[in-house]
Amino acid sequence: MRNHEVSRGRVRGWLDAWGLSVVGLALLTGFLAFPGAGWAEDAASASAAVSYRDIPQLGGSRNIIWVVAQLHLLLAGFVLGVPIFAWLCEIVGWKTGEKRYDKLAKEFTKLLTSSYATTALFGGILLFLLISFYPKLMTYLTDIFFPSFIAYCGLFLLETATLYLYWYGWDTMQEGRAKVFHLFLGFLLNFFAFFIMVIPNSWATFQASPVVIAEGSSVARAWAATWNPTWWPVNIHRLIANVVLGGYICGAYAGVRYLSAKSAEEREHYDWMGYVGNFIGVFGLLPLPFAGYWLMREIYQYNQQMGITLMGGFLSWLFILQAMLIGVLFLGSNYYFWLGITHRIPGAEAKYKKPIMAMLIILLLCLGVWMTPHSLVASLEEARKLGGTHHPLLGVFGVMSAKMTVANLMILVTFMSFIMYWRAGKEETAAWAKLARAVMSGVLGVAAIVVIVLGVWGYFVPAIVRINYFSVAQVLIVIFVMLTITPLTALLLRSARTTTEMVWGRMPPRAGYALVLNAVMVILLMTLMGYARSSSRVHWHIYGVMRDSSEYAYSPALGYAAAFMSLNTFLFCMLVAFIFWVATMGDKAKAGSGAMPAMAGGSPELDRSKAH
Amino acid sequence: MNEQPSFIKSVVKKGVIGAVIGAVFFGAATALGFPPIFRYMFVAYATLGTVVFILLDAPALPTFGGIKAVVALLAFYLVLSVVYIGGASLWPQYDPEDEKGKIVKLLEAKRRASDQGKAEELLVRAKALSEKADLIMQRLQTLGGPTVSAPAAGGAKAGGAAPASGDIVALGKEQWELQECYNCHKLYGQGGKKRGPEMDNIGNLMKADEMKEKILDPRSWMAEGFEKEYEKKKMPDKYKELMEDKDVDALVAFLATLKNPAVNTPKPVKKK
Repeated sequence: MRNHEVSRGRVRGWLDAWGLSVVGLALLTGFLAFPGAGWAEDAASASAAVSYRDIPQLGGSRNIIWVVAQLHLLLAGFVLGVPIFAWLCEIVGWKTGEKRYDKLAKEFTKLLTSSYATTALFGGILLFLLISFYPKLMTYLTDIFFPSFIAYCGLFLLETATLYLYWYGWDTMQEGRAKVFHLFLGFLLNFFAFFIMVIPNSWATFQASPVVIAEGSSVARAWAATWNPTWWPVNIHRLIANVVLGGYICGAYAGVRYLSAKSAEEREHYDWMGYVGNFIGVFGLLPLPFAGYWLMREIYQYNQQMGITLMGGFLSWLFILQAMLIGVLFLGSNYYFWLGITHRIPGAEAKYKKPIMAMLIILLLCLGVWMTPHSLVASLEEARKLGGTHHPLLGVFGVMSAKMTVANLMILVTFMSFIMYWRAGKEETAAWAKLARAVMSGVLGVAAIVVIVLGVWGYFVPAIVRINYFSVAQVLIVIFVMLTITPLTALLLRSARTTTEMVWGRMPPRAGYALVLNAVMVILLMTLMGYARSSSRVHWHIYGVMRDSSEYAYSPALGYAAAFMSLNTFLFCMLVAFIFWVATMGDKAKAGSGAMPAMAGGSPELDRSKAH
Repeated sequence: MNEQPSFIKSVVKKGVIGAVIGAVFFGAATALGFPPIFRYMFVAYATLGTVVFILLDAPALPTFGGIKAVVALLAFYLVLSVVYIGGASLWPQYDPEDEKGKIVKLLEAKRRASDQGKAEELLVRAKALSEKADLIMQRLQTLGGPTVSAPAAGGAKAGGAAPASGDIVALGKEQWELQECYNCHKLYGQGGKKRGPEMDNIGNLMKADEMKEKILDPRSWMAEGFEKEYEKKKMPDKYKELMEDKDVDALVAFLATLKNPAVNTPKPVKKK
């Protein structure tokens, strides 16, 4: 105990010294750089009429805001995704009695304290920068959203109090009704977090899809502006995306630790952790395209022009890039499942080689269709040769009907990869197993055929029928498949005999890279969509209401934007790595050198309890 | 130990198959007249598929520890970034200068409409008139110079006066581009997504004031056969806020010149 205190004190002292050094260095740099920086304003005097301020020497206001806002958003996604991830793990641990899930949940909750502070720090920086760089816009938004600012602060207080209770009460609320209460606290944590997410979403979505604000009380005006057409689609899309982010980041952390693991024990744990992260990431990834589709539909309904700008205008090739990222993410997630089947379950490779090949071919074909652009960016001469901007052959695949179809097929394939992984190494013994397998095959086969038929049929019906009925039917069919096959498989496996035990820690190192790749893809996707959302407003701060008259009103080209996305992704990964490092430092010191930090649920006691 | 030769064999086999598929894609795309970017994209796509197939059977990499693991990860991220940024840069993309030009024109129109803009324009005109008066004085002093047209025209330009009547059509075409009418309306066989009628013969079907009415109030007229689009209010009701009156006039002047009876522009129906 004494040693712990000493080491904790040493660590704290070192941190304090290090922190002071960094702060001191930053202040010194700022002090030295201050006279050199050009603080530009768009008016001669610093009066209330100033619309814009700038620091061109630091890359310009837009680029500074771009980096800080994106980092804040990614961190916010992380701190909202992690409680969901942790809560789900805690529930699994509670229901199955497997302590390692509870431990994993607790350790991820530990991350929240430092990551909350970092997120709030970036939020504060963003706010100050916005007020400084865009005073006119911020005055306008404050005038409308003032009541929701207050609600936002209130929610933060509630969230913080709940987090304290949830984190500090973990060990004391482990058994019986106390554990149920603790799970309720986890629910509350996510409940408040959800509203912390939806309130700023209303500010951002109001910029993209503003509504007419009638005269009335300030609350009525704020409420009217909040309830804008893209608010809920963005809320749902971001909620799911946060789960995906939380899961894949957990996977990436496990992947990194797995790659640098020194002992079999470490490999075993990080392999398991990678599996959990990837599973939760995929769990969120499957419904994400549906949410994205809903959002785009609402954008089109709100403003055709904005929809065209995004899907058929100058941003249309951005969605080809998006398709490639999603395609790689699907491939990466499936690839990890396939590696799991072939390496964790001895002898399974030969049995599943052909289905894996078939699934890979389907995924690649689907990806090919998904990334086919609707209209070509061709020269006039090229377009004339083709007879228009749509290729007579290729244009067929570029339309939404084809894209929706392949997105649904990719989701089905990924779902089946998971089911295959779940069933590998087990032999179903139930009397009705043959019938159940036939039903599952039938449901899957019929669903795939119906999805394709609806997709082809979609070419011959008016767009409104396709959008409102066919595409919705495709989504419902895929959801039906998941809701049918999952419980049926669970029932089958309840009485199944294990033929081959799953062996953790035998994954090849490229599995770790696959996990890192998946996380990078998700983060790049989020940064890409940030660029899309901002660019879709073109030269408006608030679409159709307040024009951006700054020198940065134009949208940057895709290549330039990609460099920023890559930079933001890298900075975010560094921040997350720092948060993980800080969170596990104490554990390493406690356990002594060479021991595994508790982040992986890697306590020897837990291993022993699991083994027995 | 046997793993390595069999993997190399597998790489060669899959690599050859991938190269053949890529070549077939490239050849087929060329034969079908796809733009070059598509041909390369197909090859890249075949390469991606081949890489994933090869990775499926790849043997385990040696494990790294400590700083080597960090370096390996950074190198991995660097490769991803280069591919991502490189791919996005090679992608066909729009030129931000186009949007900058549009913004300048829109802001200029706003500025001119403002009190400050009007005052500035008056000052410029006054300066031009003063220059013109000076020139006349000079000519009077020399008693009958050869021409007056050249400096007068220069003065008019410097004064920023309204363009000649022929220019209004050009200004209207500029408005067509600026307001992105082509997104919904086909013209000269280009643009349009079936949301609005083709406009090539609109000059024969509508009078100028009717066109103006339609632009400022999209509910006032409906194109025959576009009942659903009319009901769904597909045409945005925003131009009365976005455009100056003279911009609308210019656009109408341009539309009035569109008189190509070979194109089946639908008949307008009065609704209000």
